[in-house]
Amino acid sequence: MKPVLVGLGALGVRVARQLLATGEQERLLVLSRDPSTAQRRAAGLGRPGAITVEQLPPARPGGSESRRRIKLRALFDGADVVVLACPGPLRVAAETALECGAHVVSTCDDPEVAVDLMDLSDRAASAGRSVVLGAAMAPGLSCLLAAWGAWHLEAAQEVHVATLGTGGPACARRRHTALREPVDEWRDGRWARKVASSGRELVWFPVHGGADCYRVDRPDGRLLVPALPGVHWVTGRAAASRRDRMTSWLPMLRPPHPEGTVGAVRVEIRGHQGGLPRSIVLGAAGRPAVLGGTVAATAAQRAAAGLLLSGAGGLASLCPDPGDVLGELVERGLRLFSFTGDQPSAAW
Amino acid sequence: MVPSVAGSDSRARGGLGGLGRALFAVGLAALAAVIVRLRGTGGTPPHHGGWRLLTAEDLRSDAEGAPGPGGTQAAGPAPE
Repeated sequence: MKPVLVGLGALGVRVARQLLATGEQERLLVLSRDPSTAQRRAAGLGRPGAITVEQLPPARPGGSESRRRIKLRALFDGADVVVLACPGPLRVAAETALECGAHVVSTCDDPEVAVDLMDLSDRAASAGRSVVLGAAMAPGLSCLLAAWGAWHLEAAQEVHVATLGTGGPACARRRHTALREPVDEWRDGRWARKVASSGRELVWFPVHGGADCYRVDRPDGRLLVPALPGVHWVTGRAAASRRDRMTSWLPMLRPPHPEGTVGAVRVEIRGHQGGLPRSIVLGAAGRPAVLGGTVAATAAQRAAAGLLLSGAGGLASLCPDPGDVLGELVERGLRLFSFTGDQPSAAW
Repeated sequence: MVPSVAGSDSRARGGLGGLGRALFAVGLAALAAVIVRLRGTGGTPPHHGGWRLLTAEDLRSDAEGAPGPGGTQAAGPAPE
């Protein structure tokens, strides 16, 4: 397998570590906007010579896109899979990777990017390639948990995803924006526009306990609705403090932390089993960048091995056997949980 | 000599007073909205039960007919 990793931030470092630790490849090409910083981070992985860092051709407003494509094509040439562990826009990079015959794995959790890359579905399907969208903690791990939970119900009708914590600075900035952008929520078979930072719910996360969570602009619904036919309600929430919500409409008042150390995801799947209403509550705990990086690396290796379906979509759509992927994630060290006991009914 | 219109000052004062009252009402409403938006909590924690660590075998158990996630429970009343 010959992977190319775009971005070596908090999550990208985890992707690189996982790829080098568990993959068959000895070398990894990393493209970065800041090669000197990426070189330092690569050196910290303890595999001297295993990682080659190159400058990522920058996207300049008004600049020549064709020249950028040519440069990207040269860098992606011969790659089996391209992991885009960076914020959007990612359309040019994803298209070029497909043209080079590579699978694409994106970790971006921006709904606009997800919708933009979803357009590549037909092209990817005809080429027999996978474009995995949102392969991180949420979406990503949350999609796998939702698909696995839904598999245990006769009819999954609702999926409610909540997250705690952020990965690197780009993830923190995205969450800051997501707390103020209008939210498109799948409700009763159509998209309903909701106000961000609304709909407070006390969510009980594994390991960390309770946290008040609010609607955020994340592509959970966009990725889960096509994967779970019949589902009529999908929500995405994130834990936020009063300060987060009060200042979400301002620029970030201070630079985000290099990496969030606290993280968790909780997925509740509601539906019917044997004519009775049932809900399955699943979760995971760990550093968001570690959870996301492990999911992205696993998705990349599975895509390269031909274990994912072709086309563009979330992991719930492209993984034929989510239980097997989740099992592999546990073997790689992730902690996944199932809630047992009484669960107060949330209004969501 | 410029003729003056009787009552023009009082009308201006009345207009400004009305504007002030409107701004005060809007400010009061905004303050109430902020308080309502920021106060309180979003529900109650679970009373019984807890998180169970899943093993790779739990997650891959579907083919063997094992219960999978286990610990599922009846959902509460239909939301909203």
